[in-house]
Amino acid sequence: MADDADRRVVIAPAHDPDNSLVSEELPLRANLSVLENIAIVPQYRHNMAYEQAADLAWTLLVRLNRSDCAFKRDPDLSHEERFVAKLLRAVIRAPSIIFIDRPALLLPDTHYPPFVSATLDGVADKINECWIVDYSWNEPLYAPR
Amino acid sequence: MPAMDAIIQDLTRRGAGLLAWLRAWRGFGHFAAVAIVEALTPASYNNATRSVVQKQIYFTAWQILPTFTVFSAVLSFVLIQIVVDTARNYGFAQHALEASVRILVLEILPLLTALFVGLRSGAAINTEVALMVVHNEMKALEDTGVDPMRFEFIPRVIGGVISVLALTAVASAVALVLAYLAVYGFQAWSVHEYNRVMGNIFNLPVIAMLWAKVFAFGLAVTVIPISEGLAAPAGKLFFVPISVLRGMVRLFFVLMLVEVLSLVLKYI
Repeated sequence: MADDADRRVVIAPAHDPDNSLVSEELPLRANLSVLENIAIVPQYRHNMAYEQAADLAWTLLVRLNRSDCAFKRDPDLSHEERFVAKLLRAVIRAPSIIFIDRPALLLPDTHYPPFVSATLDGVADKINECWIVDYSWNEPLYAPR
Repeated sequence: MPAMDAIIQDLTRRGAGLLAWLRAWRGFGHFAAVAIVEALTPASYNNATRSVVQKQIYFTAWQILPTFTVFSAVLSFVLIQIVVDTARNYGFAQHALEASVRILVLEILPLLTALFVGLRSGAAINTEVALMVVHNEMKALEDTGVDPMRFEFIPRVIGGVISVLALTAVASAVALVLAYLAVYGFQAWSVHEYNRVMGNIFNLPVIAMLWAKVFAFGLAVTVIPISEGLAAPAGKLFFVPISVLRGMVRLFFVLMLVEVLSLVLKYI
């Protein structure tokens, strides 16, 4: 995409109920821990017991080696931990498409293309489809997946 | 015609202020109606919402129960003593029990409980909801398929109403025991007489009106802070203190309005 107007057009389908958006503009719930932020999705949507939903969330965090941030809240998270929490909150919902909006905004201090790629590989079997939405001038950063 | 222009500008400004005020009240009324309908809808309840209701009751009622009980007991004891002594001085000792129970249980304790919960939990809820709106957390919840109304707000309203009802019941029970002790002393022989007086006070219409009033208080201490928080503009952090200030002032006026209405219905 070339500019912000273009970006809005591209991520418009992300607001469809079947899809999920990982974005700087959609924060974690501040009064919940990372584990609760992820677990709340199946707990609410599928009326799952908290223990069961938390187990699911924990399993996903362990797969990405991020169980150490499970009980942290948003202000205590690093950019990488926050990105993982937001991604898993989307993944646990099993949407048709996950949109990751401008990873550079989510991971300002990280060489993000390999990090995003490795993170997505860690939960590849849980993702139906994933679109990384970034500006066209960043295209060379991404290897074909 | 500078004078006419000034009058028109003044009227326009006042009109805009009035419209904003009416819009705020309409928003509050709308949210209250939605909250009641959602609270009565079985589909609103699942594991997640029940857990928020439990947390709300814990933070609003259980956590403050010892402090609140001691405070209401001390206040009740002092007020009962004042009423009993005054009644004896003026030769109306036979009405001391009835007067103290009517003042405390029917009027002061429900209002005091609502103010206590409003100042403590209402202010916190108002701040939290305003921050949620400012930080776009509601949109984030919606994106994950969690309805903020059902997950965040309705459980708070239900928890708030239950907490105000429960705390009022506890404070009233303590006041009734203290009233007995103040009037009859540490003996059990006057229980029959005490029951007769209570029976005269707490007839069905009085009980119905008391619980209706406490229910209205419970709704007010949660619905007003939430609806005021929801009116905060997204992205404007500086608006949070303004939102809380408005919410608390509006809450105070609504609590007073409910109290005055109940007095009018009872005594006029």
